[in-house]
Amino acid sequence: MLRTEPLLRMQLLLLATEAQDAALALARFGVFNPAPCSLDVLAESPAAAYREAWLEAEARLSKLLEQCGDTGPLQLPDDAEAPSLVDLQELNGWLKDVWTACLACHESDVQITEARSHLDALEDTLAKLERLNVDLAHLLRADSLLAFNIGSLPVTGLKRVTEALAMTGHLVTRFDQVGEQVFAVIAGPRARHDEVRGLLAQAGWRELPVPDELRTHPQAARAWLEAERARMDAQSGAACQVMDGLRDRFGPRLHEARMRLALARPLAEAALASVRGRGGLTSLSGWIPRQQLDALRDTLDARFHGRYWLDLREPSPDENADVPSLMRYPSWLKPFVPLVKSYGVPRYGEFDPALPFALTYLLLFGAMFGDVGHGAVILLLAAALHRRLGRMAWVGIAAGAVSMLFGLFYGSIFGYEDIIEPLWLSPLHDPVRVLTVAVAFGVGFIVFTLMVNARNKWMSGQIGAALFDSTGLAGLVFYLGAVGVLASLAGAADVAQPAWLLAGLGISMVAAFKWFEARAGLGERILVTAIETLETAINLFSNTLSFMRVAAFSLNHVALSLAVFTLANGLDASGHWVTILLGNIVIIVLEGGIVAIQALRLMYYEGFSRFFSADGREFAPLRLESNLRG
Amino acid sequence: MSAYLDTRVSLYAGRLWRDEALDALVGAPDTVIADTLMQRGLPQLAAGFIHPTDRQDARSLEQRIIAQILDETRVLIRPLSGDSRSFLTFWTARFEISNVKTLLRSKMTGERPAAVLARLTPMGAFNRLDNQDLAHAEDVNELLRRLEAGPYAGIVRHARRAFEQSHDPFSLDAALDHGYYEGLTLRAQPLESTVGAPFRGLMANLVDRINLVWLLRYRFNYRLPPAQVYYLLIGSHYSLPGARLQELAALDSLEAVLAALPPVWRTPLSDAIDIPDVFARMERLAARQAQQVLLSRAPDIARAFAYLILRERDLRAVRALLRGRHLGLADGEIRQALQRSPAETA
Repeated sequence: MLRTEPLLRMQLLLLATEAQDAALALARFGVFNPAPCSLDVLAESPAAAYREAWLEAEARLSKLLEQCGDTGPLQLPDDAEAPSLVDLQELNGWLKDVWTACLACHESDVQITEARSHLDALEDTLAKLERLNVDLAHLLRADSLLAFNIGSLPVTGLKRVTEALAMTGHLVTRFDQVGEQVFAVIAGPRARHDEVRGLLAQAGWRELPVPDELRTHPQAARAWLEAERARMDAQSGAACQVMDGLRDRFGPRLHEARMRLALARPLAEAALASVRGRGGLTSLSGWIPRQQLDALRDTLDARFHGRYWLDLREPSPDENADVPSLMRYPSWLKPFVPLVKSYGVPRYGEFDPALPFALTYLLLFGAMFGDVGHGAVILLLAAALHRRLGRMAWVGIAAGAVSMLFGLFYGSIFGYEDIIEPLWLSPLHDPVRVLTVAVAFGVGFIVFTLMVNARNKWMSGQIGAALFDSTGLAGLVFYLGAVGVLASLAGAADVAQPAWLLAGLGISMVAAFKWFEARAGLGERILVTAIETLETAINLFSNTLSFMRVAAFSLNHVALSLAVFTLANGLDASGHWVTILLGNIVIIVLEGGIVAIQALRLMYYEGFSRFFSADGREFAPLRLESNLRG
Repeated sequence: MSAYLDTRVSLYAGRLWRDEALDALVGAPDTVIADTLMQRGLPQLAAGFIHPTDRQDARSLEQRIIAQILDETRVLIRPLSGDSRSFLTFWTARFEISNVKTLLRSKMTGERPAAVLARLTPMGAFNRLDNQDLAHAEDVNELLRRLEAGPYAGIVRHARRAFEQSHDPFSLDAALDHGYYEGLTLRAQPLESTVGAPFRGLMANLVDRINLVWLLRYRFNYRLPPAQVYYLLIGSHYSLPGARLQELAALDSLEAVLAALPPVWRTPLSDAIDIPDVFARMERLAARQAQQVLLSRAPDIARAFAYLILRERDLRAVRALLRGRHLGLADGEIRQALQRSPAETA
């Protein structure tokens, strides 16, 4: 719980024909994190074609499922095998055929819709032209000197088209607009009509076909239009048979396809980096927890009966940055993990701060917002909203409970300081003591972070930094000495002489380390050493004082309550209680929110920044239900 | 905000290549080139140069260069908001439009999704398209429909109509380019009034250059009729407004077009021999103007835009240099490809 789980680097070598089953077995095993293969002799990517076929098939399947709806819950039998490449390609081919048929139907549907809208436009056009008493037959004569076109184009291009057509002696007259489409008549010299064809195509011009019947017998127009509409309806009905019958015709096969693609997913996912090979041999590389080694061997033996070679080794110190971090937490701690991960993931081998984070965060929140009443409200609210908040509700419940506990220590309930006796002290009546305790807590917290950092550095092989750096043991020695000196000066202890020695020893070691670490000329080296050593002292001092805010907020809580009472006492009975109610709501929302953020800030900046590199990679096991896209 | 961007642009400006420095790099040994690339803030190019077959990072030189430009744009955009941010964000979108063209072409040629995905430029923080989804479209029509549901709907809708009418890949490319630059000029307009002359000058140079080169190419290489050529150009209110472009499109030869240009372009282009020469000369003038804006006390967004123009030009030159070395070309041929030797730009 306090450190990432030890992992082993594994390389599984087996026959290429069994690669998909090996990936499936590892996905079922549930704790195999694929990683790039480091063996240069295995230069081929035998699963690349498999992944490609899987991606294509998966894309087609998801589009088909979008059209025909979900085919129901997916149950993968324990003994089901992953499809081979040939099976997968065959499945992909079938999905392609079905989707192409759907697409043709969809395309035809779009065309029919557009044709219907054009018929409507044509009807409108004819009505308008009839009112203008224009002889259509004369207008559209093929041997006329003027060429006429009736059609539509996007409204955004109308100005540009008009200007361009004017260059060839053509005129554009718009007569209607439907949505973003403008309907227009283009007229110009027939001799130059060829010049504008390319331009009109480029501009997205759609011609409205005017059949001969409409030119000669206007009364026949409606009958012709009705007949055209009926033809469109018939076409639409025929075209959509594939679409409508998709689920009935292909439902069971699509479900089968879903299952086969789910079984193929592990190899397709691992193929990205972890699968390499040569000839008939394939290798799957990755990380597994050391504790799961026997279980893995059992899984592989059961499936492959010895037809594999498993190579295992410990991660070397210089590859720690590439090793994923596997952390396991008890369920009560899990709600706090997202707050740690929002800062970062621990590097492999690094101290995992989730447990101390949870304890310290709650302690700080309770100390800054200690009130039995307010804590109870937070607790009840978080409990009531647990469905909506999910796991985070437990953080609220725990924070409320700790706030209630500190309320008992402070003797505070909804800001009233005289209802219950404080079990420990009242911040308002003993502020110096509260400040002293806050700073003492800060000292303890910083000592803890320095020790953890020294341990992390040591574990990652940075022995010099662990012993002599400002955030290592030398920094710790200096800090303890400096605290002793200040405590002696304040009269709280009598350890001035040894404390001075300790502080001097610590800061000298830090300075010497900085000197050796600096890679620069003499002058710059002196400057860097002096400034960084001074910075060590200033930082530790200011970080310690930062914890005074814990006391300040506990005092602030009492002060805010006093302000509410002062306002309430100046009002009549009903005004008094309304003010008390609203004041308490403001305190809970405003101060509660600020305190929650301040506690987080203290953890992140005074704690995590001192020892937590947070640049680790989370353990991402191959699973049957994982998401491949991206 | 302004102080941050000004300082950042000034710091970045130190990475730009003077022509002499680039020229000196042509014959330099490999180790010097890698060091120089690092010093000029191009770690991605240096890594690719030292380990050209790195299995972990298989991006092409082109992709590395665009990644570098996007990285720097991301940093410059950080303090910006409103019109300035919208403009610089859209400035990066041309790389994504280029991805759209690649995807469309792949559907026309039946290229496999995995192959085309490897060729697309990773857009990083500026990515707005789901390339995986688009690459797995079954054909051009499905791809266009999917694109129409995305952030470039306006540009793509028009391109689709053009393509449906002609089924000509040129129509698609031309409509996409046209739509993109119309969108860029639209986003530049509010900045031209608030930022003023330095920014307007950069935009004028860019739009005039694109319009003139397109006009010459469409008219004399593709032999399109004048009206269609005019339609394909960007609506402009700079040195080459609509009426002037109509006149130019109606002319019959490169020489006639160059002679009919307004004085601001006629003088530097009068003896240009062909369209690439026209482009190179106009680009050199644009670089000179961008250099002036960068060194001036112009508003921050104008200086940032000027820097990006210059940086991209530099990186194109570096690409030519690295590719030339990779192909084993002679130094003289590489210098010719760079088209920015000291003698030429003096």
